[in-house]
Amino acid sequence: MANVIERIGELLARLQSPDFYEREEAVKELGTYQEDEAVAGLVIAIEDPDLGIRELAANLLCTMKSGTAAQLLCSFLAHLDISTRNLAAEILVRMGADAVPALTETLKSDDYDVRKFAVDVLGLIRDERAIEPLCQRLWDDNANVVCSAAEALGEIGSPAAVPHLLAVYEKIEDVRMPAIEALGKIGDHAALEHLYRCLGTDDPMILYAVIDAIGQIGNLDSMPYLQKFMNQPELPIAETAMCAAIKISVRNHGRIGCDLPLDRFTDFLFDGVKKGNVEITEFTLSRLSHWYGSHVIENLLTVLDCVDDTKLGKISEALVLVGRSYSELMIEHLLRAGRESKLRLLEVIKHFIDETIARQLLPLANDPEPDVRRQVAYLLGVSGCRDAVPVLRALTKDGTGHVRAAAYAALGWLATDEDLGFIMDGLSDKYGDVREAAAGAMIIVGGPKVVARLTSELYQDDVERQRLAVIALGWIGEREVIEPLLQAVNHQDPGVRKSAITALSKFDSIGSVEPLLVALTDENSGVRKAAVTTLVALKKDAAANDIRFLLSDPDIWVRYHTIMAIAECGNRSAASFLIPLLQDEQDIVKIAAAKALASLGASDALPALSKLSQERNKDVVEAGDMAVTALGGQK
Amino acid sequence: MEIVRHDKGACAVLYITGRLDLAGGTMLKEQVKKLLASNTVSIHLNLNSVDFINSSGLGALVSTMKEIRLARGRLTMSNLASYVQEIFDITQLSHIFEIFKTEEEALSSYRATATV
Repeated sequence: MANVIERIGELLARLQSPDFYEREEAVKELGTYQEDEAVAGLVIAIEDPDLGIRELAANLLCTMKSGTAAQLLCSFLAHLDISTRNLAAEILVRMGADAVPALTETLKSDDYDVRKFAVDVLGLIRDERAIEPLCQRLWDDNANVVCSAAEALGEIGSPAAVPHLLAVYEKIEDVRMPAIEALGKIGDHAALEHLYRCLGTDDPMILYAVIDAIGQIGNLDSMPYLQKFMNQPELPIAETAMCAAIKISVRNHGRIGCDLPLDRFTDFLFDGVKKGNVEITEFTLSRLSHWYGSHVIENLLTVLDCVDDTKLGKISEALVLVGRSYSELMIEHLLRAGRESKLRLLEVIKHFIDETIARQLLPLANDPEPDVRRQVAYLLGVSGCRDAVPVLRALTKDGTGHVRAAAYAALGWLATDEDLGFIMDGLSDKYGDVREAAAGAMIIVGGPKVVARLTSELYQDDVERQRLAVIALGWIGEREVIEPLLQAVNHQDPGVRKSAITALSKFDSIGSVEPLLVALTDENSGVRKAAVTTLVALKKDAAANDIRFLLSDPDIWVRYHTIMAIAECGNRSAASFLIPLLQDEQDIVKIAAAKALASLGASDALPALSKLSQERNKDVVEAGDMAVTALGGQK
Repeated sequence: MEIVRHDKGACAVLYITGRLDLAGGTMLKEQVKKLLASNTVSIHLNLNSVDFINSSGLGALVSTMKEIRLARGRLTMSNLASYVQEIFDITQLSHIFEIFKTEEEALSSYRATATV
């Protein structure tokens, strides 16, 4: 112990060294001791001429949380050097609860500045043990100490301080403002009756503070008191009352409990939304289902760009709700809005577009922004407005691909037979998505004329148009397309043959399946696989016999696909076709065969499946084991 | 095709099973017409069990949507099979229909609107 004290003495001496590094090392080492002498050394170090050493000492003192350190630091609250005093106060705040006893003791200082600093620090620490001593300081001789005590009690936020604050409010004029503010921060309903009485004050500054405090307390019963001020001619006081009402509403999950003269505050509220005020935005948007009118809608339109997606959702829903009644206002705004607003508003209008609105949107088909033109095309398409057809036809010539795609799709939703020529042109567009949109439009239009046109496309020179035609015929899905599709099974292009065969799988029956049986021997493996799938879809388990010969197809994926198709048929008698595949040269085929045999319940395959345990590929072994287990055999 | 109706809140949910073709589309349009006549304008289609759709079925959906919008109502859809989603994408109907992954998500969106 003697050695420790001796060592600390040496370190204290080093704190006076002109050498920065020596002082720094001394401070670091002092921080490793718990003795009061070491703590005192660290406190001394907060006066060091070097900022780095002062901060080092401060950090070490904070981590020590020593009562001695707090006591010593409190004495620094009287320091003549402001920066040292502020550093001491900062360390005390960081020490938190450990500094409270020393600070409470400091409240008894003869120096009113020291008392005030101690009060301020206690307010920042927010420890409830300080309430009683701070309440006593409400009756301090010095007005600054009294005001600081009221503010500190507000920071701590305990209802225990309310009677003291009310009492001091009555007695000392200087403390009224901070006392009212403290009552608001504490938020205790017990203060309300007093605050209501204070609303009769002649002092406008106190009145603002009282209204604000009532808002912070957040009791719905206060609304009628605030209502009176909302109707006052002086706008600043009315807006303060409105803000208080908003605070109450937000604390009560959007309820307001009475009618508020919202129309008077429309501009004020939306200004708050534009400025990103969270409470005003939440309140304003929560009123939208009960509060609309042209002025509100006008304002809503101006904030479309100022809100995040969640709030935008609420605004959109409100606009959709009033939709048609205010569509002219929306269109007027739309025509002069920026790109983002236009897109957001078009998304809203989509929910109630009709022929009249569609006509008003026509000028936007020439908007410089492609995304706007594209969205307008969709809206025109869904509007049912035939007047939009010439505009959509023009948009099919737009310079931007996705605008043309939208225009073709929209023509499909609107079109009659007379527009078919235009839509067919889209099948030759240079972009795939536009060609597909044109095919999609043909699908929607449907009917005998479209089928005839698409059938004739199958025998034109352009292979891409042939492919799209066969896909569209498949999706049209009426019985009259079966014959053209069956013909297309013999088409020269394998892509067309494959698409035609796939399209035929959507029908319950197609009459003769002869073309599909021929397709099983197609030179193209993709066509053979498609034929397998379609035959199974049409003939179910009866297809197994037709397709079994493909189990020895040279293409591994045709073999694989056929195995899966036979398993899907569920034809138990077809299991025997699969057993030889367990010896296939390709592991993936062996695995597929094992799984298929298990799903068909082919217990006669157990001996062959058991042999898979000798395979080198562990996936094959595992598939064999699983199949054996599933069939009730022993591994 | 079969249509089963369940009212969930103010929303009528129609469960469609089978083939949405000319006959099915006609049945759907008639059902929606009845709903609109009885002032039910929030309509959700659960397409989980639709195993076939063709151009007539698509046409019926487009015309149903227009009818509902004229009545100031709302049409949503959910549980689209990949097959149905594919044709919605080809025809770009995904851009104009309100499509949700699940029925619950769609019904939540109705509740959210109601509390605005």
